[in-house]
Amino acid sequence: MVKLRAKCILAGDATVGKSALCQLFRSDGTHFQKNYTMTTGVEVVVKSVNLPESNDSVEFFIFDSAGKDIFLDSVEKLWGQPSVLCLVFDVTSEQSFKSCAKWLERARAHTQGLQMPGVLVGNKTDLSVRRTVDTESAREWALSQGLEYFETSVKETENHEVPFRTLALAFHNIYREKLEVIQALA
Amino acid sequence: MIDAALSSSGAQVVLATSSDENHPPENIIDGRTDTFWISTGMFPQEFIIRFSNLIKVTLVTIQSYNVQSLRIDKCSSPDTTDFEKVLEKEFEQTEGQLQSEDFSLGGTRATHLRFIIKSGYDHFVSVHRVMVEGTNENHM
Repeated sequence: MVKLRAKCILAGDATVGKSALCQLFRSDGTHFQKNYTMTTGVEVVVKSVNLPESNDSVEFFIFDSAGKDIFLDSVEKLWGQPSVLCLVFDVTSEQSFKSCAKWLERARAHTQGLQMPGVLVGNKTDLSVRRTVDTESAREWALSQGLEYFETSVKETENHEVPFRTLALAFHNIYREKLEVIQALA
Repeated sequence: MIDAALSSSGAQVVLATSSDENHPPENIIDGRTDTFWISTGMFPQEFIIRFSNLIKVTLVTIQSYNVQSLRIDKCSSPDTTDFEKVLEKEFEQTEGQLQSEDFSLGGTRATHLRFIIKSGYDHFVSVHRVMVEGTNENHM
Protein backbone atom coordinates (compact mmCIF):
# COMPACT_ATOMS: atom_id res chain seq x y z
CA MET A 1 0.00 0.00 0.00
CA VAL A 2 1.29 3.42 -0.89
CA LYS A 3 -0.06 6.92 -0.51
CA LEU A 4 1.36 9.21 -3.16
CA ARG A 5 1.32 12.99 -2.92
CA ALA A 6 0.81 15.10 -6.00
CA LYS A 7 0.96 18.83 -6.48
CA CYS A 8 -1.83 19.71 -8.90
CA ILE A 9 -1.83 23.08 -10.61
CA LEU A 10 -5.42 24.16 -11.30
CA ALA A 11 -5.36 26.97 -13.86
CA GLY A 12 -7.42 28.80 -16.45
CA ASP A 13 -9.08 32.19 -16.98
CA ALA A 14 -11.06 33.90 -14.24
CA THR A 15 -14.71 32.83 -13.74
CA VAL A 16 -14.50 29.54 -15.64
CA GLY A 17 -15.29 27.64 -12.42
CA LYS A 18 -11.92 26.41 -11.14
CA SER A 19 -12.69 27.01 -7.47
CA ALA A 20 -16.22 25.68 -7.86
CA LEU A 21 -14.86 22.49 -9.46
CA CYS A 22 -12.26 22.15 -6.74
CA GLN A 23 -14.75 22.66 -3.89
CA LEU A 24 -17.21 20.23 -5.44
CA PHE A 25 -14.44 17.63 -5.74
CA ARG A 26 -13.31 18.23 -2.16
CA SER A 27 -16.83 17.85 -0.82
CA ASP A 28 -17.50 14.64 -2.82
CA GLY A 29 -20.15 16.40 -4.86
CA THR A 30 -22.10 17.90 -2.00
CA HIS A 31 -21.03 21.52 -2.11
CA PHE A 32 -21.68 23.82 -5.08
CA GLN A 33 -20.74 27.39 -4.31
CA LYS A 34 -23.52 29.53 -5.75
CA ASN A 35 -21.89 32.86 -5.08
CA TYR A 36 -18.77 33.94 -6.90
CA THR A 37 -15.70 34.81 -4.85
CA MET A 38 -12.66 35.77 -6.85
CA THR A 39 -9.52 33.82 -5.93
CA THR A 40 -6.77 36.39 -5.46
CA GLY A 41 -3.71 34.21 -5.10
CA VAL A 42 -3.49 30.48 -4.63
CA GLU A 43 -5.79 28.47 -2.42
CA VAL A 44 -4.46 25.03 -1.54
CA VAL A 45 -7.07 22.30 -1.27
CA VAL A 46 -6.12 18.82 -0.06
CA LYS A 47 -8.09 15.80 -1.21
CA SER A 48 -7.33 12.08 -1.53
CA VAL A 49 -8.39 9.77 -4.31
CA ASN A 50 -8.40 5.98 -3.87
CA LEU A 51 -7.14 4.07 -6.87
CA PRO A 52 -9.20 1.18 -8.19
CA GLU A 53 -8.02 -2.41 -7.75
CA SER A 54 -5.42 -1.57 -5.12
CA ASN A 55 -5.12 -0.09 -1.66
CA ASP A 56 -3.07 2.77 -3.11
CA SER A 57 -4.19 6.37 -3.04
CA VAL A 58 -3.09 9.76 -4.28
CA GLU A 59 -3.37 12.77 -2.01
CA PHE A 60 -3.74 15.89 -4.13
CA PHE A 61 -2.49 19.27 -3.04
CA ILE A 62 -4.55 21.30 -5.48
CA PHE A 63 -3.12 24.76 -6.12
CA ASP A 64 -6.33 26.55 -7.08
CA SER A 65 -4.80 29.55 -8.84
CA ALA A 66 -6.26 32.97 -9.55
CA GLY A 67 -7.15 33.47 -13.20
CA LYS A 68 -6.75 37.24 -13.30
CA ASP A 69 -3.51 38.43 -14.86
CA ILE A 70 -2.76 40.91 -12.08
CA PHE A 71 -2.16 37.98 -9.69
CA LEU A 72 0.04 36.08 -12.11
CA ASP A 73 3.41 36.92 -10.55
CA SER A 74 2.44 35.82 -7.06
CA VAL A 75 0.63 32.75 -8.38
CA GLU A 76 3.55 31.52 -10.48
CA LYS A 77 5.92 31.79 -7.50
CA LEU A 78 4.02 28.86 -5.98
CA TRP A 79 4.05 26.66 -9.07
CA GLY A 80 7.51 25.08 -8.62
CA GLN A 81 7.93 21.33 -9.16
CA PRO A 82 4.34 20.51 -10.16
CA SER A 83 3.21 16.87 -10.43
CA VAL A 84 0.07 17.22 -12.55
CA LEU A 85 -1.99 19.91 -14.29
CA CYS A 86 -5.72 20.58 -14.52
CA LEU A 87 -6.64 23.27 -17.07
CA VAL A 88 -10.20 24.59 -17.05
CA PHE A 89 -12.17 26.68 -19.54
CA ASP A 90 -15.80 27.72 -19.92
CA VAL A 91 -17.56 26.16 -22.94
CA THR A 92 -19.54 29.40 -23.39
CA SER A 93 -16.37 31.50 -23.68
CA GLU A 94 -14.18 31.13 -26.75
CA GLN A 95 -11.64 33.44 -25.13
CA SER A 96 -11.23 31.18 -22.06
CA PHE A 97 -10.57 28.24 -24.40
CA LYS A 98 -7.94 30.17 -26.38
CA SER A 99 -6.23 31.17 -23.14
CA CYS A 100 -5.56 27.53 -22.28
CA ALA A 101 -2.51 27.50 -24.60
CA LYS A 102 -1.04 30.36 -22.58
CA TRP A 103 -1.83 28.69 -19.23
CA LEU A 104 -0.32 25.43 -20.43
CA GLU A 105 2.88 27.17 -21.49
CA ARG A 106 3.14 28.93 -18.12
CA ALA A 107 2.68 25.70 -16.19
CA ARG A 108 5.16 23.80 -18.34
CA ALA A 109 7.80 26.44 -17.65
CA HIS A 110 7.93 25.08 -14.06
CA THR A 111 8.38 21.36 -14.75
CA GLN A 112 12.19 21.37 -15.09
CA GLY A 113 11.90 18.80 -17.85
CA LEU A 114 9.84 16.30 -15.83
CA GLN A 115 6.65 14.66 -17.06
CA MET A 116 3.49 16.48 -15.99
CA PRO A 117 0.30 14.56 -16.81
CA GLY A 118 -2.50 16.98 -17.63
CA VAL A 119 -6.22 17.22 -18.29
CA LEU A 120 -8.33 19.84 -20.03
CA VAL A 121 -11.77 20.44 -18.57
CA GLY A 122 -14.58 22.21 -20.42
CA ASN A 123 -16.97 23.41 -17.72
CA LYS A 124 -20.53 24.84 -17.71
CA THR A 125 -22.00 22.31 -20.16
CA ASP A 126 -25.42 23.02 -18.57
CA LEU A 127 -25.45 26.34 -20.48
CA SER A 128 -25.95 24.53 -23.80
CA VAL A 129 -27.77 27.43 -25.48
CA ARG A 130 -24.83 29.78 -24.95
CA ARG A 131 -22.18 27.24 -25.84
CA THR A 132 -19.51 28.51 -28.28
CA VAL A 133 -16.73 25.90 -27.98
CA ASP A 134 -17.68 22.52 -29.43
CA THR A 135 -16.51 19.22 -27.99
CA GLU A 136 -14.55 18.17 -31.06
CA SER A 137 -12.32 21.22 -31.37
CA ALA A 138 -11.60 21.17 -27.63
CA ARG A 139 -10.74 17.48 -27.70
CA GLU A 140 -8.59 17.90 -30.79
CA TRP A 141 -6.53 20.68 -29.22
CA ALA A 142 -6.21 18.74 -25.94
CA LEU A 143 -4.92 15.64 -27.73
CA SER A 144 -2.44 17.71 -29.74
CA GLN A 145 -1.03 18.90 -26.41
CA GLY A 146 -0.96 15.47 -24.77
CA LEU A 147 -3.88 16.30 -22.46
CA GLU A 148 -6.99 14.23 -21.83
CA TYR A 149 -10.27 16.05 -22.39
CA PHE A 150 -13.33 16.04 -20.13
CA GLU A 151 -16.54 18.04 -19.94
CA THR A 152 -18.21 18.93 -16.68
CA SER A 153 -21.12 20.82 -15.31
CA VAL A 154 -20.13 21.74 -11.81
CA LYS A 155 -23.58 23.24 -11.32
CA GLU A 156 -25.27 19.95 -12.19
CA THR A 157 -22.62 17.96 -10.26
CA GLU A 158 -21.65 16.14 -13.44
CA ASN A 159 -18.33 14.46 -14.09
CA HIS A 160 -16.35 16.50 -11.56
CA GLU A 161 -14.34 13.52 -10.25
CA VAL A 162 -13.19 11.98 -13.51
CA PRO A 163 -10.47 14.53 -14.35
CA PHE A 164 -8.84 14.05 -10.93
CA ARG A 165 -9.14 10.26 -11.07
CA THR A 166 -7.43 10.34 -14.45
CA LEU A 167 -4.60 12.47 -13.06
CA ALA A 168 -4.25 10.18 -10.04
CA LEU A 169 -3.91 7.13 -12.28
CA ALA A 170 -1.38 8.83 -14.53
CA PHE A 171 0.74 9.91 -11.56
CA HIS A 172 0.54 6.43 -10.05
CA ASN A 173 1.73 4.98 -13.36
CA ILE A 174 4.75 7.28 -13.32
CA TYR A 175 5.48 6.09 -9.77
CA ARG A 176 5.37 2.44 -10.82
CA GLU A 177 7.65 3.10 -13.80
CA LYS A 178 10.21 4.92 -11.65
CA LEU A 179 10.05 2.22 -9.02
CA GLU A 180 10.92 -0.38 -11.66
CA VAL A 181 13.90 1.67 -12.80
CA ILE A 182 15.16 1.96 -9.22
CA GLN A 183 14.61 -1.74 -8.51
CA ALA A 184 16.61 -2.63 -11.61
CA LEU A 185 19.51 -0.50 -10.31
CA ALA A 186 19.61 -2.02 -6.86
CA MET B 1 35.37 3.20 14.25
CA ILE B 2 31.78 1.95 13.86
CA ASP B 3 28.90 2.45 11.43
CA ALA B 4 26.42 4.09 13.80
CA ALA B 5 23.61 4.13 11.22
CA LEU B 6 22.85 0.42 11.29
CA SER B 7 19.70 -1.01 12.79
CA SER B 8 21.85 -3.89 14.02
CA SER B 9 23.82 -1.42 16.13
CA GLY B 10 20.67 0.15 17.57
CA ALA B 11 19.98 2.97 15.10
CA GLN B 12 16.38 3.82 14.22
CA VAL B 13 14.64 5.93 11.60
CA VAL B 14 12.31 7.92 13.85
CA LEU B 15 10.65 10.01 11.12
CA ALA B 16 10.19 9.76 7.37
CA THR B 17 7.86 11.90 5.27
CA SER B 18 6.95 9.17 2.79
CA SER B 19 5.91 5.60 3.13
CA ASP B 20 5.43 2.83 0.65
CA GLU B 21 4.99 -0.22 2.85
CA ASN B 22 7.07 -2.26 0.42
CA HIS B 23 9.97 0.17 0.75
CA PRO B 24 10.02 1.31 4.38
CA PRO B 25 12.53 3.83 5.76
CA GLU B 26 14.21 1.04 7.78
CA ASN B 27 15.75 -0.02 4.47
CA ILE B 28 18.09 2.98 4.75
CA ILE B 29 19.81 1.50 7.80
CA ASP B 30 19.77 -2.24 7.04
CA GLY B 31 23.32 -2.21 5.67
CA ARG B 32 22.23 -3.12 2.14
CA THR B 33 22.07 -1.11 -1.08
CA ASP B 34 19.60 -3.40 -2.85
CA THR B 35 16.83 -2.29 -0.49
CA PHE B 36 15.71 1.32 -0.36
CA TRP B 37 13.26 3.92 0.86
CA ILE B 38 11.44 5.84 -1.86
CA SER B 39 9.80 9.24 -1.65
CA THR B 40 6.16 9.18 -2.76
CA GLY B 41 5.71 12.62 -4.23
CA MET B 42 6.43 16.34 -3.73
CA PHE B 43 9.35 18.06 -2.03
CA PRO B 44 10.84 18.64 0.46
CA GLN B 45 11.16 15.14 1.94
CA GLU B 46 13.03 14.23 5.10
CA PHE B 47 14.04 11.44 7.43
CA ILE B 48 15.70 11.40 10.84
CA ILE B 49 18.12 8.74 12.06
CA ARG B 50 18.52 8.27 15.81
CA PHE B 51 21.71 6.61 17.08
CA SER B 52 21.87 4.40 20.12
CA ASN B 53 24.50 6.70 21.63
CA LEU B 54 26.05 10.10 21.28
CA ILE B 55 28.36 9.65 18.29
CA LYS B 56 31.45 11.59 17.34
CA VAL B 57 30.86 11.58 13.58
CA THR B 58 33.74 11.65 11.14
CA LEU B 59 32.18 10.61 7.84
CA VAL B 60 28.65 10.36 6.41
CA THR B 61 28.04 8.45 3.17
CA ILE B 62 24.71 8.44 1.38
CA GLN B 63 23.76 6.24 -1.55
CA SER B 64 20.71 7.47 -3.41
CA TYR B 65 19.04 8.01 -6.77
CA ASN B 66 17.80 11.27 -8.33
CA VAL B 67 18.43 13.40 -5.24
CA GLN B 68 19.22 16.95 -6.35
CA SER B 69 19.61 19.10 -3.26
CA LEU B 70 20.28 17.71 0.22
CA ARG B 71 20.67 19.36 3.60
CA ILE B 72 21.91 17.57 6.70
CA ASP B 73 21.06 18.80 10.21
CA LYS B 74 22.26 17.38 13.50
CA CYS B 75 20.98 17.26 17.02
CA SER B 76 23.11 16.36 20.02
CA SER B 77 20.44 16.05 22.72
CA PRO B 78 18.61 12.80 23.57
CA ASP B 79 15.29 14.08 22.18
CA THR B 80 14.69 15.44 18.68
CA THR B 81 14.81 19.12 19.51
CA ASP B 82 17.25 21.86 18.51
CA PHE B 83 18.49 20.70 15.17
CA GLU B 84 21.20 22.77 13.59
CA LYS B 85 22.33 22.83 10.01
CA VAL B 86 25.54 20.96 9.23
CA LEU B 87 25.80 21.23 5.47
CA GLU B 88 23.97 21.52 2.19
CA LYS B 89 24.97 19.96 -1.12
CA GLU B 90 23.87 19.80 -4.75
CA PHE B 91 24.19 16.26 -6.11
CA GLU B 92 25.14 15.32 -9.67
CA GLN B 93 22.51 13.38 -11.58
CA THR B 94 23.51 9.81 -12.40
CA GLU B 95 22.10 7.48 -15.03
CA GLY B 96 21.99 3.74 -14.52
CA GLN B 97 23.80 3.81 -11.20
CA LEU B 98 23.31 5.10 -7.68
CA GLN B 99 24.61 8.42 -6.47
CA SER B 100 27.22 8.05 -3.76
CA GLU B 101 28.25 11.12 -1.77
CA ASP B 102 30.64 11.42 1.20
CA PHE B 103 30.68 14.19 3.76
CA SER B 104 33.45 14.72 6.31
CA LEU B 105 31.94 15.95 9.54
CA GLY B 106 35.22 16.37 11.42
CA GLY B 107 34.15 14.74 14.68
CA THR B 108 30.93 16.68 15.23
CA ARG B 109 28.80 15.18 18.03
CA ALA B 110 25.29 13.97 17.26
CA THR B 111 22.53 11.76 18.61
CA HIS B 112 20.38 12.31 15.51
CA LEU B 113 20.97 13.30 11.92
CA ARG B 114 18.19 14.79 9.83
CA PHE B 115 18.37 14.49 6.04
CA ILE B 116 16.25 16.99 4.12
CA ILE B 117 15.86 16.34 0.40
CA LYS B 118 14.91 19.76 -0.91
CA SER B 119 14.56 18.80 -4.56
CA GLY B 120 15.00 15.90 -6.93
CA TYR B 121 15.88 15.18 -10.54
CA ASP B 122 12.59 13.29 -10.77
CA HIS B 123 9.18 13.21 -9.05
CA PHE B 124 10.44 10.37 -6.86
CA VAL B 125 13.86 9.79 -5.28
CA SER B 126 15.27 6.84 -3.40
CA VAL B 127 17.75 6.47 -0.55
CA HIS B 128 19.44 3.08 -0.39
CA ARG B 129 21.91 3.41 2.41
CA VAL B 130 23.30 5.91 4.88
CA MET B 131 26.57 5.12 6.63
CA VAL B 132 27.76 7.13 9.60
CA GLU B 133 31.34 6.45 10.58
CA GLY B 134 32.32 7.56 14.04
CA THR B 135 33.07 6.58 17.59
CA ASN B 136 30.81 6.12 20.60
CA GLU B 137 30.89 8.87 23.19
CA ASN B 138 29.97 7.40 26.56
CA HIS B 139 27.80 10.12 28.01
CA MET B 140 24.63 11.47 26.37
